[in-house]
Amino acid sequence: MRKVLWLTLCLSLCLMVSAGALMAAEKVRGVTDTEILVGQWGPQTGPAALWGAVARGTGVLFELVNSEGGIHGRKIKYFLRDDSYQPAKTKAIGKEFIEDIGVFAVVGGVGTSCGMAVRDDLMKNKVIWVAPSTGSTHWIDPFQKYLFAVYPLYIHEAYLLTQYATETMGKKKIAFFYQNDDYGKQGLEGAQKYAKEKGIKLVAEVPVEVTDTDLKSHALKMKEAGADAVILWILPKHAAIILGTSKAMGFSPQWISSTTLSDSELMFNITKGLWKDVVYANFLNQQSLDRLKKYMDATEKFAPQEKYRGIFFQAGFLFAEPFLEGLRRAGKDLNPDSFVKAMESIQRWNDWLGHDLTYSPTERQGMKSVYLAKCGDDGKPIKISDWLTYAGK
Amino acid sequence: MGIFFDLIIGGFAIGACYALVALSMVIIYKTSEVPNFAQGEMAMVATFVAFSMIQSYGIGFWTTAAITIVFSFLLGCALELAFLRPAKDPTVLGLIVITLGAEMILYGIAGWKWGANQNPFPVPFSEYSGIMVSGVMITEINIWTFVTSVIMMFLLFLFFRYTKVGVAMKAVQQNAFAARAMGIPTRRILTFTWGLSSVTGAVAGMLIAPIATLDPNMMLDPMMKGFAAAVLGGMTSLPGAAIGGYLLGLIENFFGGYVSLEFKSVVAFAVIVLILCVKPSGLFVKHYEKKV
Repeated sequence: MRKVLWLTLCLSLCLMVSAGALMAAEKVRGVTDTEILVGQWGPQTGPAALWGAVARGTGVLFELVNSEGGIHGRKIKYFLRDDSYQPAKTKAIGKEFIEDIGVFAVVGGVGTSCGMAVRDDLMKNKVIWVAPSTGSTHWIDPFQKYLFAVYPLYIHEAYLLTQYATETMGKKKIAFFYQNDDYGKQGLEGAQKYAKEKGIKLVAEVPVEVTDTDLKSHALKMKEAGADAVILWILPKHAAIILGTSKAMGFSPQWISSTTLSDSELMFNITKGLWKDVVYANFLNQQSLDRLKKYMDATEKFAPQEKYRGIFFQAGFLFAEPFLEGLRRAGKDLNPDSFVKAMESIQRWNDWLGHDLTYSPTERQGMKSVYLAKCGDDGKPIKISDWLTYAGK
Repeated sequence: MGIFFDLIIGGFAIGACYALVALSMVIIYKTSEVPNFAQGEMAMVATFVAFSMIQSYGIGFWTTAAITIVFSFLLGCALELAFLRPAKDPTVLGLIVITLGAEMILYGIAGWKWGANQNPFPVPFSEYSGIMVSGVMITEINIWTFVTSVIMMFLLFLFFRYTKVGVAMKAVQQNAFAARAMGIPTRRILTFTWGLSSVTGAVAGMLIAPIATLDPNMMLDPMMKGFAAAVLGGMTSLPGAAIGGYLLGLIENFFGGYVSLEFKSVVAFAVIVLILCVKPSGLFVKHYEKKV
C-alpha cells in the first residue's frame, strides 16, 4: 500500500513539473491572449527632439489598430520612453523594456548611437526589433535574426545624392557637412564611396558636434574649398544655422540633404525661407493620400494635442506598418520565431507608406529606395525623381 | 587674408554673445559668489516669452523687447525669492545645486509650454546683410550684438561704480555681514542682483535666438561658453568677463579655422582648465586672499 502511495506521489510530481515546464515554454514574453507589449524610445527633449515625433506617430497608429479590434484579437500596449538622444539613457530604457516591462518587440527608435547602446541586449534576449529609425549599417551587419531594418541605408542614400548632384545637377565641387558621430560618418562614407568609384574627391569634409551653435568656421571651410554643392548630414538646428551663416558670408552653394531633414515645410519655416530649392531625399510615399489621410484623421482622434504632424511624425506610421504586417502574417501563434518567419515572407510589399519592402532568411534590409524632392515656395515639396535604388553591393 | 578677417568678425560676433552671458553670470557671482547654472534657461524662457508675444499676439519687436526685459527682471527676482531665499544657511555648493535644480525646472516648463522643436525668432534687423569691410560681410545682427554687449558692459560698469545700489551689491559680495551692519538690505540686494542678471541674460537670448534658432536647448552651448569666458576674464570683473567672451569667441574661431573643427568646442573647456591652473582668479582680476 505504501509503495502504491509513493508511486502515485512521484507520478503526480512528475506530471506537475512537466505541465509547469510546458506552460513556461508556451509563455512568450510580452504576449498574452489579449495583448502585445511594444516599446519605443525617442528624443522628446534635447537637441534631436524634432525626430522624437516618430515615436508619437507610431503610438497613433497603434491606437488606430487597437480601435479596429487589434490583430488576431490582441491589442498593442505601447510604451514610449524619452531618451533625450543620449545613448546612456537609451541603455537604461532597453533594460527596462527587457527586464521590467518584458516587451515582445521594439518598433522604431531614433538615433544610431542610441540604438547601438541597446542592440546587443535586445538581440541576446530575442526581443524583436523592427525599423530602427536610422539608416545605419549596424542593424544588418552583422546579421541579426530578430532585427528587421526598414530605413534605407545612409551609405546608399548619400551615394545616390552625390550621384544625383554630380550626374544630374552637374556639380563639380561637392562638400560634405556631417555630424561627427556614426550617423554623420555613415553618410560621409556613402559620398566617399561614390567619389572613389568616379575618381573624384570631395572638396571638403566638415564635421560638426551636436552641441555646436557657432558654425562660422565650418561654413568658411566649405566656402574656401569653393564648394558648389554641400550635402548635409546633420540636425535640423544645424541646418538652419549653417544656411543662415553661409548666406551672411555670401556663400550660396546648392544645398542637398539627407532624409533626416526631409520635412521641407518645417525646414522652410525654421530657416526663414532659406530652405527653398534645397534638394533632399525622402522615403515616405506622400502620394499614398488615402492612407495618410486615414492616419492623420486618427491623429485628430487619438492625439488631438499633437502640435507637430509633419513628416517625422508621419514616419512613425511608416516604421510601424511592417511590424503590424508581420503580426498579421504570424497569425494567432505568436512568438519571436513565428514572427521572424512571417517577416521573412514579405516580398516587394507595397501596401504601406514605403516602397518595395522585402525580407528573406538572409536579408534584413527591407527598404532600399529613396526618391528626391526639392523645397518649393512656402516649403511645399516638389518631387523631382522617381524611386532610386542603390545598384551596387 | 579673407578667411582671417572672416574669422575675426565671426569671433567677435559669437564672442559678444558669450560676453553677455558671462556678464550675466558675473553679476550674480559678484554679489553671492555663486555661479548661477540656471542662467541659460532663464534667458531661454525670457526669449520664448518674447517669441510668443511676437508670434501669437503680433506685438512689435521693440515693444516685445521692452516687455521681455521687465519680465526677465521679475523672473530673476522670483527665482531668487522662490529658490534661494528659503535656503537656510546654505553653503556655496548647496546654492549651486539649487541653481541646477532651477535650471531643470525652467527647462521642463519650456519643453511643456513651447515644445522641443526649433522655432524661427524674428528680429527687425537682417541676419544676412549689412556692411562689407575688406570683402567680409558684417551683418546687421553682428553689429547689433556687438554694440549691445559693449553698451551693456558700459552701463553695468557705471551702475556698479556710481550708483548706491551698485556699490551696495559690491559690498554684499565682499562682506555680507558688515554690509548688513551698515544698514544695507542684503536680501533685497540679492533679489535685485538676480533680476539684473536675468535681464542681461534675456538680452543675450534675444540676440542668439535669431542665429541659433529658438528651442529649449538653445542656451546650452552659449551658457557653457559664457561660463568659460567668465572664468577666463575673471568671475568678479565685469570688463574681464566681457573681454573673456570676445577672446573665447576669437580663440574658438581661429582654432576651428586653422587647427581642427573637431576640437573647436573643446577649446573653451581647455581654457577653463588652463586658467584655473595658472591664474585661478582670471586674466583681468587681481588675485587676493581673504584675511581672517
